[in-house]
Amino acid sequence: MKIMTCPLNGPRPVSEFHYWGEVRPMPNPATASDDAWADYIFNRNGAPGLKKEWWCHTPSNTWFIAERDTEKDVVLKTYFYEGDQ
Amino acid sequence: MPSNALAVSPVADLATLPDPAAQKAAVANLGIADQSLTPRHGCKGPGAAAWLENFGLPIPPLPNSWLPVDGGGLIARLGFTEFLVEGPATLIARLAAAPRSAGVYPVLRQDVALLLGGARLDELLRQTCNVNFRPLDLATRPVVLTSMVGVGVTVIPELRNGQPAVRIWGDGSYGHYLWETLLDIAVELGGGAVAPHSFN
Repeated sequence: MKIMTCPLNGPRPVSEFHYWGEVRPMPNPATASDDAWADYIFNRNGAPGLKKEWWCHTPSNTWFIAERDTEKDVVLKTYFYEGDQ
Repeated sequence: MPSNALAVSPVADLATLPDPAAQKAAVANLGIADQSLTPRHGCKGPGAAAWLENFGLPIPPLPNSWLPVDGGGLIARLGFTEFLVEGPATLIARLAAAPRSAGVYPVLRQDVALLLGGARLDELLRQTCNVNFRPLDLATRPVVLTSMVGVGVTVIPELRNGQPAVRIWGDGSYGHYLWETLLDIAVELGGGAVAPHSFN
């Protein structure tokens, strides 16, 4: 059983969580070029590696960030989002 | 203002009770009782704690913990800024009727609310839930938000008459499924449906 650690609720089976994609800073739509905006809207980075991802503990609706090595399928750490850094 | 009160329990047509002697035998092993009609109120938001304090309610200082309320009932802190209050109907009516402050948002609580307890409770929990409740320190009044037979639930573990018990709240639309599944397991373990006062 894979275990994910919610920063609030602690370690739980991954079946209690929902994945919501990689953290991707949104470009300013007023100033971004069409190419940059289209890249943000339509393209995703599928290459394996170290990723920052949105996850949600669904029974408590707790959203947080998981840093995950998607090549090795290892969760490195989880923490609450504190704004763009 | 819409009321959070349910006119009918989500499991009203299922939660029929056997005779008192059978209930007494069942509760020793594993009793399951419907408490869905207990008045409750939910709210969340950055102003929720201060708003509830104005009603004289104690505020659990830690996320995922609870405190008893004067006159019976409880207040549970779900995460950082969400609260579930169960208590006397007069208190719940006051909360429902009062104007909300800025940063206080209502949470509809039309839950299926169950009370399970008995010597074989842990065997049921091990079959249905991902959390090991045994190491929890009940003196800290923990609240556990987890998944039980696939349903998101809020659970408060406690002792009743020296026996382990859990109070469970879940989405009322899963009421039939949750009741039938837990009752099936309870019956397999020598328990069954009981009235809530059986645990007293």
